[in-house]
Amino acid sequence: MSLKARERAVGVSLHHLHKDFADKVALEDVNLEIEPGTFLVLLGPSGSGKTTLLRCLAGIERPTSGEITIGGTVVASARAFVPPERRGLAMVFQDYALWPHLNVRKNVAYPLATSSRAKPQRDERVDDLLERVGIAHLAERFPNQLSGGEQQRVALARALAADAGLILFDEPLSNLDADRRDQLRVEIATLTRATGATVVYITHDQSEAFALADRVGVLNQGRLVQIDTPEAIYRSPANAFVARFTGVAGEFPVTVVNERGPVHYEVALPFAPDERIEALALERFEPGDSMCLFVRAAGVSLEVTGSAKGIHGTILDVAFTSRGYEHVVSVGEGATLSKIFAPTRFDRGSRVKVCFDASSCFVMDPTKGK
Amino acid sequence: MNFSTQTKGALRSRITAVTLVITVASLSLLNVTAGAAANPGFVLYSAQGYDKASVTAFNATHPGFTVTLNDNSTGPLLQQIQAEGNNPKWGALWVDGATAFAELDLKGMLVKNSVPKVSFNTLGKANIPADGSFTPTGLTVTGALCYDSSQISASQLPNTWEQLAEPQYQGLGMNDPSQSGPTFPLIAGVMDYLGKFKSGSPAKAVAVGKSYFTSLYQNGLTVNATNGPTIGAMEGQQIKMAIIQSSACYAAEINGSFPSMRVKYLNSSIALPGVIGIDAKQPAIVRADAQKFVDWLMTPKGQRAMQTGDPTGDSLYWPVLNGITPANKVIPALSTTHAVTIDPYVWGPLETSINSWFDANIANG
Amino acid sequence: MSLVSQLMATTSTSGLDAKRRFSLGGVAIWVVLALLIIAPVMSFLILAVSPHVFQQGSQWFTLSFVSQAFRGYTGRGIVDSLWVSTLVSVLAVGLATTLAWLIHRTNVLGRRVWSMAMWILLIMPSWMMTLGWTDLLQPFGAAHALGINTRWIYGEFFGPFGIIIVLTTVALPFAYFIVSAGLQGLGPEYEDAARIHGASRARMLRTVLPIIAPALLSAIAISFAETMSDFGVAFTLGYHSHFPLATYTLFSAISTYPANFSVAAVIAVVLILSTIPPIALQSKVMRSRSYAVLSGRTGSVRRREFRRGPRVAATLGVSLFFFIALGVPILGALVGSFVENLGIYSAKGVHFTLTYYQQVLSPSISGKSLGAPLLESNQLGLVVASCTGVLAVVLARRLVASSGGWSQRVTDVFLLGSIAVPGVVLGVGYIFFYNLSFITHNVINIYKTLPLLMLALVASSLPGQTRFMAGPVGQIQPSLNEAARVHGAGRLRAWQTTNLPLMSRILLWGWLLTFTKTISELAIAQILYPPSQEPASVTIQAYLANLQPGTGTAMTVLTLLEMLGVIVIAMFLYRLLTPRGWRRVGWSGVQS
Repeated sequence: MSLKARERAVGVSLHHLHKDFADKVALEDVNLEIEPGTFLVLLGPSGSGKTTLLRCLAGIERPTSGEITIGGTVVASARAFVPPERRGLAMVFQDYALWPHLNVRKNVAYPLATSSRAKPQRDERVDDLLERVGIAHLAERFPNQLSGGEQQRVALARALAADAGLILFDEPLSNLDADRRDQLRVEIATLTRATGATVVYITHDQSEAFALADRVGVLNQGRLVQIDTPEAIYRSPANAFVARFTGVAGEFPVTVVNERGPVHYEVALPFAPDERIEALALERFEPGDSMCLFVRAAGVSLEVTGSAKGIHGTILDVAFTSRGYEHVVSVGEGATLSKIFAPTRFDRGSRVKVCFDASSCFVMDPTKGK
Repeated sequence: MNFSTQTKGALRSRITAVTLVITVASLSLLNVTAGAAANPGFVLYSAQGYDKASVTAFNATHPGFTVTLNDNSTGPLLQQIQAEGNNPKWGALWVDGATAFAELDLKGMLVKNSVPKVSFNTLGKANIPADGSFTPTGLTVTGALCYDSSQISASQLPNTWEQLAEPQYQGLGMNDPSQSGPTFPLIAGVMDYLGKFKSGSPAKAVAVGKSYFTSLYQNGLTVNATNGPTIGAMEGQQIKMAIIQSSACYAAEINGSFPSMRVKYLNSSIALPGVIGIDAKQPAIVRADAQKFVDWLMTPKGQRAMQTGDPTGDSLYWPVLNGITPANKVIPALSTTHAVTIDPYVWGPLETSINSWFDANIANG
Repeated sequence: MSLVSQLMATTSTSGLDAKRRFSLGGVAIWVVLALLIIAPVMSFLILAVSPHVFQQGSQWFTLSFVSQAFRGYTGRGIVDSLWVSTLVSVLAVGLATTLAWLIHRTNVLGRRVWSMAMWILLIMPSWMMTLGWTDLLQPFGAAHALGINTRWIYGEFFGPFGIIIVLTTVALPFAYFIVSAGLQGLGPEYEDAARIHGASRARMLRTVLPIIAPALLSAIAISFAETMSDFGVAFTLGYHSHFPLATYTLFSAISTYPANFSVAAVIAVVLILSTIPPIALQSKVMRSRSYAVLSGRTGSVRRREFRRGPRVAATLGVSLFFFIALGVPILGALVGSFVENLGIYSAKGVHFTLTYYQQVLSPSISGKSLGAPLLESNQLGLVVASCTGVLAVVLARRLVASSGGWSQRVTDVFLLGSIAVPGVVLGVGYIFFYNLSFITHNVINIYKTLPLLMLALVASSLPGQTRFMAGPVGQIQPSLNEAARVHGAGRLRAWQTTNLPLMSRILLWGWLLTFTKTISELAIAQILYPPSQEPASVTIQAYLANLQPGTGTAMTVLTLLEMLGVIVIAMFLYRLLTPRGWRRVGWSGVQS
């Protein structure tokens, strides 16, 4: 990150942010500090408030109460409101929002109209951006002549043109097809980091969030449930909702048997009462408590049926991936684990032994975080 | 999507308030220009074809105030007057037919004794009301039997109204009283004549008249909106003859559009005066101005302006003053028309109900 | 400009912004609407039950006029108008949808021509249409002059049949443009999805139709309201065919002296209230459906490629429609203006002449010239169209604010009801309201002036133009404006650079529509024009109604040509002054 880029980056603070609509509460007491230069991804299902939060940051939506500070300036509070055009932002929209009457070049050049650069420098910058994003050959085309991926690239170039200290992304990949998605995700990650700007990116796709983010904030029904690095969230989800949303291979109701350590418990599965599984917990439980076991896919391994370890299971489905095989395993009545990786193939219907790694299993109260 | 800000909202309110104030202020400027002159003159509501020429001639010779002409068809003029209600803008009204004036007089809206002291002829005098609230300026006749001489010859025409209803006289047309001003006086005149009305209640005459028009209708009477379409229907040979206003017939004959048009008068026809009256609710100075105009109209100069202002149209009237001759040779002597006057104070109030009956049963039945 | 820009912002009706719902911009709008439309119209309507208010009777409250209006001749008129308008709106929308589909979604030939022809059909006033039809079909009319015998159709035409046909051609263009805008948002993916899942043609149509249902219902509602309030056809064809329509009976009621404003007011109330069922239907089906489909993502539509045979058939079908709807009346009027004594039997046969045009161009002393009135009408048109354009944009934004809610419904009902108000009611209402002593002495004294006529004409065009623009304005994706704001554009610049280009075409055609409508508008012009400032429509009517229909027809033709000339100039200027990109987007104007 260059010195200039580091200067450009701005920090963002949200204090007690509330947003009510007529029929529901979109954001409830959200507090957030974003360090300059951070790539923050807000993750949550639809209706969780992430879009509203982004729009409040952008100034397109006005919070009901609370305070938003960008780069040290209060942009929204009970007393003040700075309109979007004065917040020094850029934004990439889910529906691309390219102006159909302007060609690609003019779309990208739009944010520069208010800059102090002279025309030749503006043109040069536009050319540079088009080059960087890989759409220089499309400069004279109009949006309706481009594919979805190309349009989003133009939107990205436009956002970068603004030289903004804060770039917002509103689920930019959700309208693209899968192969384009990966490609563009990488470009977003690299190009924005090269500018050094602070990024707030929202998505409902967990793998996308974890791939992109320096920090991930999980939102549920207007509340910021957990904010941490992707690894920390993956390894220590704050509650059942976060666990579920950040990728579980399966979840089963279990009974707590005994305590094995400060945060370790042994639990019994209802359909395999003699088997014990060790799992992490964030709170104290009593033996006999009925809780829920959340299992990450990475913590499950498959052994041949003769193996001593693990519980019995049956393969329901197997899918070839380039590195190996992903299986769906049934371990009991209605209890399945999906996305279980093994380097070798277990055929459908075959019996296996399923082993659990304690650090990837969590026992939690399923009602919390709902 | 909401972009307003606290501070911007306050600014917005101030800008809106200022702009509204400026707009209202500038709009009221439009008011200032009027009424600045010492004598504002008056506004003449007129439907007469020669009104422009008359007003121009008058204004040219009468500096000191201006007559502003509001020329329009009779219908809109009367609508305007009625809608203006107690806050009238008209100084004088000048249209064909006295029934509207009778109505106005009954409401006390006309200046009484405004008739100029000049020498009116017999029919002229007959059209001056007892309280002198309006003045006849000229006369046309309605109930003239205009016919297409190429379709029917004079010998084939009836001589009386009674005969007209006989089955052998087919192909008759007339106008719709709700659209054609001179037509209600025609209907009223026929009722007056057939019912031999002298005084008292006209109810019997109305009943006789209604059955008369019903029999005409059963005999194939065609009703069109006004003189224009009726003559057009004659030209298109949908009808052979029509009972309409005399001036329309002469105009068609003169301007060459309908050279075979001829006019016959039955044993009676109805005098239709062009009438002018002054608004009683105007200030004295305005009323005085209007009176000057009325007085001038009834002088030879005024009459000449009227007779030359619309030579192929309304100027084809019979003068009501002694010593003035009609504008065009084609107009015969008034006596040949057997024109009689009906009392507008009797028939005026009946206009609405008779027109409604006519519309429902004859025109659109 | 600032007042304009703040009026352009849509007030949010979301949630806690309720306190901002009554923003100053919103109040200003309703004040303007009150002065323009509500106060004058209510001044007239109140006479339905309270004639004494404006000295039209002695009673402060009575229902006698209500019962009078529903009986007899006027009662018949109401019933006739209701069923004719219903039939016409369904026919017009059905025909309009077919035409829109053929012109926009298939490879029928001559698409640009048809789009232009539809615009001309839109701007032609209904009285010109009936003039043309009558000139053509009457005995010894233009058809006869061309050697075609039309006696057999004359009787049929001057009856409910002819009325319905002409009214359908009058209402159709409104429906067409609304449906076209709706079709534009219908991407091929919907048809494809239905087709792939094995739907037959009919089933696919049934699947796709609900998607354009908002447009169809809006089109039906507008067609209904426009037809109910039409005066031109009612006054001419309706009268001649002894088939009274409500607008004619209304006119009739106030044409005697003393006029029966109260009965007329009752009829007017019926006309306005009759627009409520179509709106209720539209609301019920639309719910919260958003209009917003127009964005950069809306790709070019796919056309159905007919093979040669069907293609020719489709083209012929469209041509036939336009020939009947547009060509026939224009031909009638054009030929009629050259035939000497049209409608008169002459032993010498048919004689073509230029005399009527000569009379127009150099009138006799008592004759009125067309020059000054036409100039005045053009000036009026310019001012009225511009004012209406600005107000219509503001109102249209309000109307399509996707948050729905009661304020949108109220605006919708208000606008459609206003469309149903006949011009003569508005005109007389203006006299009642603006001649009130209170108003003339304390607020503004503009009765009998040109500004008052302008206000009335704006009031007359505003509801129609607003609704006309609502679809296209509503189709603009909000994120386009948001993107501009976020990337540094202030509110005004954002509107100028994003919304305006997308609206430019519809703004142009809305302007032209109001311009031409103002020139040809008769009822309001006749009752409100200031002394010595007679507009062209009144002059023409005087000739047509009196003994010089030939000259009147010649004037009509010249006026129509002049209006077309203005349109050509405006389109040329548009082409000249707008960036190329602006013309790539937009609605089914001339681009198809």
